[in-house]
Amino acid sequence: MRNHPLAWGVWCGIDTVMGSDNKYIRDHSPRLEDLFVTRRQFLQRTGMGLGMLGLATLLGEEFLGSKVAAEEIATLAPKAPPLPAKAKHVVHIFAQGAPSHVDTWDPKPALAQYDGKPIPGMDGLAMASPFKFEKKGKSGIEVSEVFPKLGELVDDLTVIRSMYTDIPAHEVATVFMNTGSTRFSRPSLGSWVLYGLGTENQNMPGFISLRPGGTPPGGSSNWQASFLPGLYQGVSINTKAPGVNQIIGNIRNQYTPLDEQRRQLDLVHQLNELHSQNLQKDAQLEARLQAFEMAFKMQTEATDAFDLRKEPDAMRDMYGRTPQGNQMLIARRLIERGVRFVQVWAGGWDHHQDIEERLPERAKEIDQPLAAFINDLKQRNLFDSTLVIWGGEFGRKPVKDRNGNDNPGRDHNAKAFTTVLAGGGVRGGSVYGATDEFGAAAVENKVHIHDLHATILALLGFDHTKLTYRYNGRDFRLTDVAGQVVTPVLA
Amino acid sequence: MNKPPFILPGVLRQLCPALGFLAAIVRSLGAEPTPSQLQFFENRIRPVLVQNCYKCHSDQSEKVKGGLWLDTRDGLLKGGDTGPAIVSGDPEHSLLIRAVRYTDPDLQMPPKGPQLPDSVVADLVSWVKMGAPDPRTATVAQKARTESSKSHWAWQPLRKPSPPAVQDSGWARTPVDKFVLAKLEEKGLKPNPPADKRTLIRRATFDLIGLPPTPAEVEAFLKDESPDAFEKVVDRLLASPHYGERWGRHWLDVARYSDTKGQVRRQREDPTYPFAWTYRDYVIRSFNEDKPYNLFIIEQLAADKLPASTRNPTNLCALGFLTVGDRFMEMQNDIINDRIDVVTKGFLGLTVTCARCHDHKFDPIPTKDYYSLFGVFSSCAEPKFEPVIVKNLGGPDYSDYYKKRMDLEQEKDTLEAKLRELRRKGDREALRNTLRDLRQNQTRVSQLELTHPAAPPRAMVLEDLRRPHDSPVLIRGDAGNKGPVVPRQFLEVLSGGYRPPFTNGSGRLDLAWAIVSKQNPITPRVLVNRVWQHHFGEGFVSTPDDFGMRAEQPSHPELLDYLAARFEEDGWSIKKLHRLIMLSSVYQESSANNPRYAQIDPENRLLWRANIRRLEFEALRDSLLAIGGDLDPTMYGRPVDIESEPFSTRRTIYGLVDRSDIADVLVNFDFANPDLPTGKRHDTTVPQQALFLMNSPLVIEQAKRLVALPEFQACPDEESRIDFLYQRIYQRPPRPEEIKLGSEFVASAPESPTTSNNDAAVRPISNEISADRPMRFAQLGPQGRKGRGVMRKRAPLKSWEEYAHALLQANEASFVN
Repeated sequence: MRNHPLAWGVWCGIDTVMGSDNKYIRDHSPRLEDLFVTRRQFLQRTGMGLGMLGLATLLGEEFLGSKVAAEEIATLAPKAPPLPAKAKHVVHIFAQGAPSHVDTWDPKPALAQYDGKPIPGMDGLAMASPFKFEKKGKSGIEVSEVFPKLGELVDDLTVIRSMYTDIPAHEVATVFMNTGSTRFSRPSLGSWVLYGLGTENQNMPGFISLRPGGTPPGGSSNWQASFLPGLYQGVSINTKAPGVNQIIGNIRNQYTPLDEQRRQLDLVHQLNELHSQNLQKDAQLEARLQAFEMAFKMQTEATDAFDLRKEPDAMRDMYGRTPQGNQMLIARRLIERGVRFVQVWAGGWDHHQDIEERLPERAKEIDQPLAAFINDLKQRNLFDSTLVIWGGEFGRKPVKDRNGNDNPGRDHNAKAFTTVLAGGGVRGGSVYGATDEFGAAAVENKVHIHDLHATILALLGFDHTKLTYRYNGRDFRLTDVAGQVVTPVLA
Repeated sequence: MNKPPFILPGVLRQLCPALGFLAAIVRSLGAEPTPSQLQFFENRIRPVLVQNCYKCHSDQSEKVKGGLWLDTRDGLLKGGDTGPAIVSGDPEHSLLIRAVRYTDPDLQMPPKGPQLPDSVVADLVSWVKMGAPDPRTATVAQKARTESSKSHWAWQPLRKPSPPAVQDSGWARTPVDKFVLAKLEEKGLKPNPPADKRTLIRRATFDLIGLPPTPAEVEAFLKDESPDAFEKVVDRLLASPHYGERWGRHWLDVARYSDTKGQVRRQREDPTYPFAWTYRDYVIRSFNEDKPYNLFIIEQLAADKLPASTRNPTNLCALGFLTVGDRFMEMQNDIINDRIDVVTKGFLGLTVTCARCHDHKFDPIPTKDYYSLFGVFSSCAEPKFEPVIVKNLGGPDYSDYYKKRMDLEQEKDTLEAKLRELRRKGDREALRNTLRDLRQNQTRVSQLELTHPAAPPRAMVLEDLRRPHDSPVLIRGDAGNKGPVVPRQFLEVLSGGYRPPFTNGSGRLDLAWAIVSKQNPITPRVLVNRVWQHHFGEGFVSTPDDFGMRAEQPSHPELLDYLAARFEEDGWSIKKLHRLIMLSSVYQESSANNPRYAQIDPENRLLWRANIRRLEFEALRDSLLAIGGDLDPTMYGRPVDIESEPFSTRRTIYGLVDRSDIADVLVNFDFANPDLPTGKRHDTTVPQQALFLMNSPLVIEQAKRLVALPEFQACPDEESRIDFLYQRIYQRPPRPEEIKLGSEFVASAPESPTTSNNDAAVRPISNEISADRPMRFAQLGPQGRKGRGVMRKRAPLKSWEEYAHALLQANEASFVN
């Protein structure tokens, strides 16, 4: 009964019982893939009525429009990557605002020597980091005192100190980090990963973006599917809301029981089919169909994933009962449920002034939650299969930026910043690349955004030159025509 | 490196052994190229570059590809978007060499072949090895600047192109059509046949007023067989007061409108703008009055500077354009930056704020131009008390307001006195408490001003400082690092050679005149593009806020110019522009697909069909309310709560916009980010949109209302009920198969609706706000809005209600085609 397509409406969502996490994933495996092989098959399964109405004859090739609609309907079913890989999930913590690398992960003693003096060959006066660095862990990597808890975990981290990007403007660079393009609308990293790997839990979106209120610069460009099919679009969730019902608005229907709602939704799909016979916007209409199906399932499943009251008090305390603590704990609950890609916005790093006071506040917001997250993943044997990324969109200059204020900060710098990797397939306890004496520019083993993207895809089992999508007559890829895998950071 | 290079042609072969050595010298000493090297360049390299590369990579290119200039030495070394073209002395790491060798599938030049002959490739390799001696000294920056200011289309003088000749002159009803058709015919394509009348009136009505036509309006249009039937519809819609609510909202996207200030220092400041709505109302009014766009611009920049005869207190609200932006925790330079941003992106399609810290990387906008504008806005400030814009104050409501306000003032005075006292004493604890009380006092003032019906509306004006001043360039944007002072004046690139310093106070009025000046061709282009975009789903220029060098070429440059020129001739009338566009055949095409055409032009840039467009959230929500008969057509006034129950049933444009905490339902439906001028919203499809249609009480209540309507109840049979719902929701009769679907759905509904409404799902979740807490108007703003998402127990739907709800969820209700 369970797998009989016609019974779909009855069992879908209603009989799901929260089990232990792995069982959860197993039991809920391929569902959408059953349904979305082709639109025609979908109709045959869901719409008995349509057959009787003789609609099948209406669904000729012409209706199907482009061939894509008939043959390549997108699916969220899990797929094995082409190459062996450890990482199966990604959690990308976006430190938006451009954290100062020389105050966090990239110590520069020379700045102390030159403090207040001009740096040769550079405009402005050097500014020593107000923070102490200390060797941590067995690896002895130096970490700033602003990250006491993460410092303890440094043997699990790869610190890439030679990142660089193209344009030091927040919105452009933020979207660049997430899509690999500064100019055009392009699919986000999470969408590419979802396209390549599908997702393990068919009752949850495979790509979820968590934000603590507000919207980041670039808004939905940062989790968009762009020309990839719409179901690879990230679902943005405002975690600041006080309860589950507010986190995902309208998550529950207060009028119609689920079985009846299922019947109603089947009718909606049939109405849509009749309506769209003549229209071309297959991709968007298809995405809508999938969005409705996902919405239906989320009603029962998503509320649980976002309900932190189901966590023991000790766990809540370990993460910290703060906005970022909540976000990281939700991220863990999502990873546990098989969500493929979680983006976590943890911004506020644009410290043009008052860096001494304000940077530690930001660091503190994420230090404990991220450390707790890593420890928690380890305890649950999820660390080795989860790639954790922390970093911003660019770095900051080694010189003072006063910007009308006596308490200095640092200005934007596209030539150097630090990104930290951990978990699945990453070589822990290592530093890769280096900036110059002052941290002004990456000089050794430079890593461009495209290189980082290529590396992330490699960690997930993809050759970045081969994960392509044909659009408008051309094969597109995340790394465009660039990108070199940074093999030394792979374990 | 010291090994002789491989095969070198003819005369040069004898030089070979020396070349590597020479290259090393050239590099190490930066020496001048020798005459023989230059001869090699002139004979063997320059001709190759000219013949094979200059078409796309030089001054001669129509558009320089990949940001790469190969007609200067500087260009080669600096390279383009993918990095330096050559590494002097190192051919193996030179992209140029990699490209001409054709070994990298992603990088092959010339791109469409034929490959350069091996001998030529070998020449290039040798040349790079010898250090790429090259006498061409102009720098790319110079060239980029010159090239762009000379030839970039967007700032070329506006002329009015003649409509081209076309074959199918029957279809081409207007000059607009000729431009479109000529491009289609060039590609051998034909435009779609016209849409049927029902589709057309629905399209026009949503486009102009953001609501569906009523069944009666559709009937009247169907019956009207006169040749100008559609023209009458367009004119009726343009005259509707709902027009301003629709098009005003488009403008508010550009104006980054919000009712709040963004992040504030919570201890010191209330985040509300109690009077932002007076700017919103000004915008709606202006569109309804068809205020000439040039005057609309002038008022928004300098309504306070206009001669008394044209100045009226309501128009002062126009200055909200400058003042409703983010307050950036009162960082003045950021506030000014935001104002420059909204003015230049909004009116000029230019990203001038890129030049805050360095010369614009792509467009000819030097940093000093940015600080010319900076001087204008740093010569302005908000007054302590915003001017009241109504004349007659009085009445019992007003007395009530007045008393409350005076009480708060008194409280404030008391608190301030106390503060002074405590400061003297140095009692920190009490000081903190008093500061908190003061802040709360301020919040209550804001709330009173925002919500009290008799609080006199005020204009969010900006005023000139008594002593306006020019600004120095702030080097790298650093306020502590002042460069030369620059005069307040307009952007050089748009000045057409005439660029007098601004002398009238701050210069806001001068700036406004410069923006609307005939010398400046870009203003009408940008506006025409915005209007076109909202009619077709995509503008000629796909980046409506950026017409700079990085924007894609316009799809129909001549048509854009024609419309811009007509727009000026027509007295900058936006309504006339709508007419010109909508009465053209191209607007009236059907949206039917054509698989072959879809292969040739998948994005429909050539407009062979009408685009299918999803309704924006405002139009979707408003139309659902209109369909249910629940829409409150009251216009103007203080913002309302559209987020929580009881929902306001006013049009969505009147909903409160809080930039520091935008309602999730707005975010989920791609609402414009109020922190940045937004000419084009995103278009995403996410499950939360479905959840809104599936579960929001606002939507479901409309389904219930539909079924409760007397007209529905009076329908004698199933078929007429279904017909009624289709006419009302989709403005068309149902097809037989749709009637069948509907009947079956209703017939197969459970006998009596189950009440197993999953109690667990309805019970309010603990630590959420209690269900019966009324959402009061006074809770608007960041402190309020806590009642969102409260769960209630509701009666299950009857089968017809459920059916109507399904119709509201179906795509047809969310799309215009």
